[in-house]
Amino acid sequence: MTTTLPPVPAAGPGCAGCAVPSRRENLVQLGVRQDKWDWLVALAGNPNTGKSTVFNALTGLRQHTGNWPGKTVARAEGVFALGEQRVKLVDLPGTYSLQAGSADEEVARDFVLFGQPDVTVVVLDATRVERNLNLALQILEITDRVVVVLNLIDEARRHGIGVDAARLSRRLGVPVIPAVARTGVGIPELLVAIRGVATGEIVNRPYRIERHAPEVERTLGALVPLIEAAYPSLPNSRWVALRLLNGDQRIEAAIRSGELGTLTDADHALVGAAGASAAVPTDTRAVQLLETTNQLRWQLPPGFHDAITADNFAAAETIAAESVLRGLGRARFDFDRKLDQLLTSRWFGFPLMLLILTVVFWLTVSGANVPSAMIGHLLIDQVNPWLKGVATSLGAPWWLSGFLFDGVYLATAWVISVMLPPMAIFFPLFTLLEDFGYLPRVAFNLDRLFRQAGAHGKQALTMCMGFGCNAAGVVATRVIDSPRERLVAIITNNFSLCNGRWPTQILIASIFLGALAPPALAGLASAGAVVGIAVLGIVVMFLSSWLLTRTVLRGEATTFSLELPPYRPPRVLQTLYTSLVDRTLIVLWRAVVFAAPAGAAIWLIGNVTFGGVSVAEHLVGWLNPMGLLLGLNGVILLAYVVAIPANEIVIPTVLMLTVLTARVAGVGAGDGVMFDLKSTEQVALLLRGAGWTALTGLNLMLFSLLHNPCSTTIYTIYKETGSVRWTVLATALPLGLGFIVCFLTAQLWRLFA
Amino acid sequence: MVDPARALLIFGLVAVLSLLVFWPGGGLVARGLLLKGMNERVRMEDALKHLYHAAASGLPATIDSLAGALEVRRGLAVRLVERLTARELARAEADRLVLTEAGRIYALRIVRTHRLWERYLADRTGIAPELWHTLAEREEHALTNEAAEALAARMGHPRYDPHGDPIPTVTGELPARSGRPLSTLPAGTAAEVLHLEDEPAELFDRLLAEGLRPGARVRLIESSPQVVRFNFEGHEHALAPLAAASITVEPLAAGVELDEITHPTLADITPGAAGRVVRIAAACQGPERRRLLDLGVVPGTVISAEFASVAGDPTAYQIRGALIALRRTQSRLIQVEPVPLEAAS
Repeated sequence: MTTTLPPVPAAGPGCAGCAVPSRRENLVQLGVRQDKWDWLVALAGNPNTGKSTVFNALTGLRQHTGNWPGKTVARAEGVFALGEQRVKLVDLPGTYSLQAGSADEEVARDFVLFGQPDVTVVVLDATRVERNLNLALQILEITDRVVVVLNLIDEARRHGIGVDAARLSRRLGVPVIPAVARTGVGIPELLVAIRGVATGEIVNRPYRIERHAPEVERTLGALVPLIEAAYPSLPNSRWVALRLLNGDQRIEAAIRSGELGTLTDADHALVGAAGASAAVPTDTRAVQLLETTNQLRWQLPPGFHDAITADNFAAAETIAAESVLRGLGRARFDFDRKLDQLLTSRWFGFPLMLLILTVVFWLTVSGANVPSAMIGHLLIDQVNPWLKGVATSLGAPWWLSGFLFDGVYLATAWVISVMLPPMAIFFPLFTLLEDFGYLPRVAFNLDRLFRQAGAHGKQALTMCMGFGCNAAGVVATRVIDSPRERLVAIITNNFSLCNGRWPTQILIASIFLGALAPPALAGLASAGAVVGIAVLGIVVMFLSSWLLTRTVLRGEATTFSLELPPYRPPRVLQTLYTSLVDRTLIVLWRAVVFAAPAGAAIWLIGNVTFGGVSVAEHLVGWLNPMGLLLGLNGVILLAYVVAIPANEIVIPTVLMLTVLTARVAGVGAGDGVMFDLKSTEQVALLLRGAGWTALTGLNLMLFSLLHNPCSTTIYTIYKETGSVRWTVLATALPLGLGFIVCFLTAQLWRLFA
Repeated sequence: MVDPARALLIFGLVAVLSLLVFWPGGGLVARGLLLKGMNERVRMEDALKHLYHAAASGLPATIDSLAGALEVRRGLAVRLVERLTARELARAEADRLVLTEAGRIYALRIVRTHRLWERYLADRTGIAPELWHTLAEREEHALTNEAAEALAARMGHPRYDPHGDPIPTVTGELPARSGRPLSTLPAGTAAEVLHLEDEPAELFDRLLAEGLRPGARVRLIESSPQVVRFNFEGHEHALAPLAAASITVEPLAAGVELDEITHPTLADITPGAAGRVVRIAAACQGPERRRLLDLGVVPGTVISAEFASVAGDPTAYQIRGALIALRRTQSRLIQVEPVPLEAAS
């Protein structure tokens, strides 16, 4: 049923897309940037097949590639030159199927169908051809402009699997290119094949499943001729018929709007010119077609969807059996299996996990101290006075240099010096574990614990991520593909004590709680208190997950699956580079964007006066009664209000406000300027002087754990959930808990101590 | 400084009060919502539904049956009927109440919304089956026609609700219902479950617990006034005749093969052994079933159990070349026949 058109020479720059308006509109809707390109190439494949590595090999762009499924949720795009032509490459979400059962699958399907890419490159993992063919066959049902990349052939060889690419190519009816995208093997051949299919020099005859169950075939036999009559140039009428019978809303809409008539396997430019008027049927025919479909649907067997899926897998199995040659007996994943048995064994599983995670955290905490101090010294002690000196010598008024350098600059510098070093250590380490394939095993080991709280084992990973940064933890929940479990992970991520809060915990614990123990044990007591708070956070996380899944989240759909990818040697240098760019800098940039205005606000409330008293003092006065009721004080509450953008500036703000309200002279850099003191003793003296007790210290630690997420995280939660409701819940839940816990602690303390 | 004991007391009072107000189901807010649902229109729509169901099952509808079904006083039922007649939705024939054509279309629309919503709850949410009917009873009055149609389109125009009842089309068409109660089947007959009655709820729960769902295939072993015994998914089940009567089945054509061997489930396959999938249990529906299918769990797939997690659950399985962890709650729903490990290459 394919129309055999002569190979059409490529159109001029930027015109391949502009000939058919509807395709261009589609692409805008699908979110493709409208810069100039000659050919549009889509990249599809199962999760974890090295799709992103192929993307990088083609574009040279270093997109982060993780060794766990479901990485590319946000779609990546890149442009590369292929001879004279500019090729736009779009990386589709990795999916197991195109049945449009999830948002990812819908995105991928819509792009292949309505985006009408000139070529769709399907990446197959050579170690798992049969499974991957399921998706490839579904794509071949939609479009015949396909090139298959058989990636990871080196890994397959190691495991004793050989794939006959030529044979696979004959069976599938499209070019099959063996490749090792990581090292660039096969990429030149891939480019040749892309060019061939795009220009039409290679004419594909894609494999399509011809026989389904008799009842299905009978229904198809009635529907397909109708579709072919209405859309003579449609390349995939059987597939469209199946989708219609399945009640695919997007296809129905395309029929109603006439859009379906513009989809052909011919060159897009030709259709726009000649085919459009003939191919688009009148409204009545479209309505008739849909009505017939509605009637035919009643004749389908009940297990229709099951049967189609089974047929697809059966075809994949047959094709794989013909072209995949295995070594002796089972595929040799011996090393993987031995490692798995060790890492998930009853005796070593948990101790090894604790050891690995402890090492990661220890490296982060101890490794970050020195660079943090250095950056802090440079940005705060050196650059800040210098900037103010320059401003004074230029004759700038005090309020301008104060606002800019003591407010905006100082807050930003603080956030960078506290946040950057731990994140620059933590994220690459975490990414290395992820690339190696260990993290899914952690989720696997901990799943039972999380299941009892109604959550997904992968929440263990997003929780760990939260110890680095809650915003990053919230983004990481994308790997959880079940809606309810993902929401739980997002809402409870804030109970992981992020690294912006650790310094507060350590400082306050050593001043107030260490002092409660005998001097010899003071260090141990304060360290124990900090760990206790972090553990309390984990406990609260489990309890609130349990509560949420039994109340507000009860109605959300839930499924479970966890793929354990094969172990792969991590690429250290690339990991360092990409995790720095991907995670650290992006999170840091967001923090800076939020910290700068906070710095301005803090300086303003400290320096703008009403009736001779600064705004800050007025506010502290108002908040004090409530603060005292909670076992805190007005200074702490105000500090948490103005430091919403970043937990890192809580202590500097507290110190500034304390000096301001207690009217202590000679401490810090002047009125209304945030500062940190070099020695713990000085801070202790100042805070005790301002009336702080051990209760204040304890409650500050509790409140630091249980309060609203920082504004970066709140914003991220909104972006990830797209819902005001869940964002409000994620913000109010920890804050409410914090108020209640602090209040109860304060009353009980006063009653008994 | 507030006295701590007094502060704690006030806190306790506030906590108790807010629990009384907001407690789901029994709190004042929940009761208020329930009362709000009891308004005039809702009663009228429920009355229409009662008349429709009565006509469909061939039972006479009277003022008394209406008062009984809606759990209202007889006086109120009379007023309701007066209102329905005034709006030409129903009329009285002798002492019987029947729907007019307009009334039938109205009733069918309510039924359509009800069943669509049940389908939605089953396919797209994690809400337990026991609650589907109750929630749909509320939603059928709240959803506008446009919203119901949008929902139908989004769900891919489902044909049946999760109990197996056909969903009337927009134009009010309803395919003729064939089928008969399971209890009336001759012994030895194989049949497919068409429908499970969702009222009374206790009975429905019992059927769900047996794993029965529309589409399940059963063979009747014995039907006596004391007990109805039948084979389903390889196991023998026994129900009281009353319960069996609430299962509507359609006899299968002779020659349709029915697998009546007791199969172990994937959960019974220990690490180091393998099994070939026979079927996914009928009890596994909605997103969970779709996910398993997409992972390649289809009849004929050979799955080998590889290793269990530290805590014993989940277990990692080799499924069509990939290592996939499944929880026990899932592997229990996959019936397999054990095969030697070599088959799982």
